[in-house]
Amino acid sequence: MHQLFDRRIIFVGGKGGVGKTTTAGALALMAGEVGRKTLLVSTDPAHSIGDVFDVQIGNEETPLGPNVWGLEIDPEIEAERHIAAVSMSMKSLVAPKMYGAIDRQLELAQHSPGMMEAALLERMADLMADAHSRFDLLIFDTAPSGHTLRLLSLPEMMAAWSDGMLGYQDRSRRLGDLLKVFGKGPSKDDEFGMIGGSKDEPEDSRNNRIKEILLTRRRKFHRTRELLTDAGVTAFLLVLTPERLPILESKKTLDVLNKFNVPVAAIVVNRLIPEDADGDFIRERRLQEAEYRAEIDHDFESIPKMYLPLLPHDVHGTDTLRDIGRLLMRQIERV
Amino acid sequence: MKWAEIKKKLDGWAYLASEFYNAPYRGVVARAKREQDDLFMLLIFSEMMGVPNPASYYTLELQPILLERFHEWHTRMGMEHSPLDDFRCC
Repeated sequence: MHQLFDRRIIFVGGKGGVGKTTTAGALALMAGEVGRKTLLVSTDPAHSIGDVFDVQIGNEETPLGPNVWGLEIDPEIEAERHIAAVSMSMKSLVAPKMYGAIDRQLELAQHSPGMMEAALLERMADLMADAHSRFDLLIFDTAPSGHTLRLLSLPEMMAAWSDGMLGYQDRSRRLGDLLKVFGKGPSKDDEFGMIGGSKDEPEDSRNNRIKEILLTRRRKFHRTRELLTDAGVTAFLLVLTPERLPILESKKTLDVLNKFNVPVAAIVVNRLIPEDADGDFIRERRLQEAEYRAEIDHDFESIPKMYLPLLPHDVHGTDTLRDIGRLLMRQIERV
Repeated sequence: MKWAEIKKKLDGWAYLASEFYNAPYRGVVARAKREQDDLFMLLIFSEMMGVPNPASYYTLELQPILLERFHEWHTRMGMEHSPLDDFRCC
């Protein structure tokens, strides 16, 4: 069995338009062929696996071929689902005349910055944690580098956030305990009554519920971090073309991935000019390409590389993808 | 009953004495706790106050639990009515 497909999670990333979806799709078909049940997940808001496979996919797992399913995450639907749950529990606490106010307030929250990102991350984290009961392999066709890097750094940042919130919560609880030592607890009728909160729910029980939610969050962030940084579980494939901007961006991406300890398994160098192509124009391009290939070899020295040729036509449908997959499989032993 | 009366008196004195020593500390601790709780509320509801909060997806799920504390909080923060046009709790 090929080592790459022994992993549970593969991320395919790179600058826009370098061939991430093609690579991810071709790998998914190959993994399916060797008997690994594979889910190909697109996290790019501008989904394109459906277009490459010529199948309508959407926010549901859709069969794409033998052992291969596709999923295009719709963060908007995920965010709506999350907000609907919050809205339900809020409405259970207030008078019906407040329902309209709550709806308006949550409507604003839905469009707040970071909401879509968090909803997307939530779905990805759930898939990473649970999908292995149904699939052997998850392949993420990611959005262009910047977006994906932010997403991959979120679990770490948000783990720090939940740690901080738990810290505040804990300090408040300890001050509460201290208050009990000094005679009465924070009771309803003295000047500090406000701290005690409402009479409907004792403070301890409310604090426990807050703590519970924050702890669940923290566990999830830490779990996602662990999966992301475990080289035995996760492989990141960086796709680039032998051109200036993709190389520069990939270098930056690699730095950030290293910083967050996300293991990069291989680099896919896409759209190399085939050897049998001729003409003066192509000769010029090939000279330039040789320079960039040297740069790639130098800059990504320690990382295994796979090469794909420039094709005479667009990648469309499973036949072309399978051909590309075969080319990758021949080189994949190195990964 | 004589004993009972004495005991009652002693208890009263003991209460006064402990209050004499404890009350100032209680005030300080209570204030610290209240400030801590207010900060927590601010972090959870900052979005509602127009302060962008990158963690809003996660603060949102804590809001229902803290909703009943919302009124006390905004009045203590010096706002007689709810600071939110759409969210009138009073």
